[in-house]
Amino acid sequence: MSKLTEKHNYKGTLVCVEGIDGSGKSTQLALLRDWLKATGQDVIFTEWNSSELISQTTKLAKKKNMLSPRTFSLLHAVDFADRLKQVIDPALKAGFIVLADRYAYTAFARDVARGVDAQWVRNVYNFAIKPDLAIYFDIEAKDAMERICSNRAPKFYEAGMDLKLSNDPYESYMIFQGRVIKEYQKMVDEFGLVKLDAMDSIHSKQVAIRTMLKEVLNSKGVNLND
Amino acid sequence: MTKHGYEGLLIVIEGTDGSGKSTQLELLKKYIQAQSYGVMVSEWKTSRLIANVIDDAKDRNLLNATTYSLLYAADFADRLENQIIPALKSGFIVLLDRYYYTALARDVVRGQDIEWVKNLYDYAPEPDLVFYLDMPVDVLLKRIIGTTGLDFYESGRDVGFSTDFYKSFEIYQKKCLEQYNNMKSEYNFKSIDGTLPIKTIHNIMSDEVQTILDSGILY
Repeated sequence: MSKLTEKHNYKGTLVCVEGIDGSGKSTQLALLRDWLKATGQDVIFTEWNSSELISQTTKLAKKKNMLSPRTFSLLHAVDFADRLKQVIDPALKAGFIVLADRYAYTAFARDVARGVDAQWVRNVYNFAIKPDLAIYFDIEAKDAMERICSNRAPKFYEAGMDLKLSNDPYESYMIFQGRVIKEYQKMVDEFGLVKLDAMDSIHSKQVAIRTMLKEVLNSKGVNLND
Repeated sequence: MTKHGYEGLLIVIEGTDGSGKSTQLELLKKYIQAQSYGVMVSEWKTSRLIANVIDDAKDRNLLNATTYSLLYAADFADRLENQIIPALKSGFIVLLDRYYYTALARDVVRGQDIEWVKNLYDYAPEPDLVFYLDMPVDVLLKRIIGTTGLDFYESGRDVGFSTDFYKSFEIYQKKCLEQYNNMKSEYNFKSIDGTLPIKTIHNIMSDEVQTILDSGILY
């Protein structure tokens, strides 16, 4: 039984954005946050791998490339569980709109692309609360690479260099992020992620997101005036 | 053929705190080494990176039941993949002070769903031999108070059974023992009365190990 497939009963609203780096999700979330604050909503923001408990350790381990994909997966789950229990769950109980930059789906995409069993990692995260709105920014690997690597080479993990797919970071990036994207695309149906085209304009994506969020909030009896 | 398919042997000693695991592990290690086999010992919660995080988080009382489970699972995964499996592959006899049965007992007592915890460890190789040191809770209590003293988490204080240390320890350890009892047949534990003299326990263990060695499973 997974909570990720059951509607939650909290007063608050959980929104997450997903997609590979360079898909524009953080920009969209920042715009959304500012707007919600301006309309007087209680908003809280949380991002992937940021818990006090473990994020520094995970970053250190990454630098040294000393851990296996499964161990990494579990460390990210620690980070997620910590934020879920300390930040997300209390805020939802208190009626906040919680904006999450990446959610459990990031683990399902990245860990599986690194060879971790898909069902195993889903079971690990089965305590995650199902978001009211989960948006996936779909982009092709080459477009994301153009955006983030215009003045630098892809980073070690972002290129999946730990998997030894290729010695060339650009080539490795294309293969690895291609796998991550494939995993995301599978999740659109599996978890009901809303797919947006990352190549659309900032404005049109933001309009689409606000429209969807308004609907979600309306269904909970919250009306936004803007 | 070994149970896990690797060349080496995987031998586990399980039991609650104060059940005498480390003493027996040391004796067993010497016994096996004396016969010219390669032996590697690995203890619970000793991965280079994660063990410190667990200790630090415990000191600051930062752990909830889920992060507790996951951190131990991460420590285990690291040791399994970086130490234990490589050693088994190269034909070592690996002696483990605790295995994932410890996590099953402790996490379930902390309210986690047993199937969820089993999933965390479902990739772990099956040991060739699991010794379980069975100790009554009153003996355990005396041993621990007389040696290391009562620790916050080992007393299950984080679970909130009781604010009284002694009471909490008693309830927590009893619940852990129940979990171990449930596992005995499922995981084929060789259960040994932990109150027997050290030498007697060692003889029981070394006889079992010797039987496997004599079977010619290792070469």
